[in-house]
Amino acid sequence: MRKAVSSALTALMLLAVLMSSQLQAADKKPAPPPPKLKVGDAAPDFKLQYFTGNDLKDVNLSDYRGKKNVVLAFYVFAFTGG
Amino acid sequence: MKNFQKNLQKLEASDTQVLGVSMDSPFANKAFADQIGVTFPLLSDWGGEVTHKYGIYTDKYKAARRVNFLIGKDGTILEEQIDNEAIDPTKLVAACERHKLKN
Repeated sequence: MRKAVSSALTALMLLAVLMSSQLQAADKKPAPPPPKLKVGDAAPDFKLQYFTGNDLKDVNLSDYRGKKNVVLAFYVFAFTGG
Repeated sequence: MKNFQKNLQKLEASDTQVLGVSMDSPFANKAFADQIGVTFPLLSDWGGEVTHKYGIYTDKYKAARRVNFLIGKDGTILEEQIDNEAIDPTKLVAACERHKLKN
């Protein structure tokens, strides 16, 4: 009986060690690579829509060519910070 | 996005249009904009075509990474900020003001 308990304990401890090393490995994952597009590259044109409150409006990047700089701020999800 | 709203006047004064982009629906984005008081357009990249085209889709979120691109009037990328550094637009505002002087 005693032996069974101690081997069960050993198994649990092994499991804990394994799990913690896996967690550490997840932390050490390398940072994702930088975007393909670099400073100096041409920004790909696009056509996207937004809702004005009444209807959907198209926006093309080319609309601003020669007129304005554009900040494109990609964010992960609506209703989150940042 | 709120940080851009705070700096919107400065950015507009440097001839800069701010556009938010995410893979949410146009209606979710409008509700988000209203909730946080954003007045510039939040564009919907439903399906992620543009997110992929710009090379910033990430499997981790199944969505775009947090990235800012400053695109000049000639259509080239002038500045790029990724992940955490993309949250504070101060550097971007400074860059816009700098580029305005050049134009």
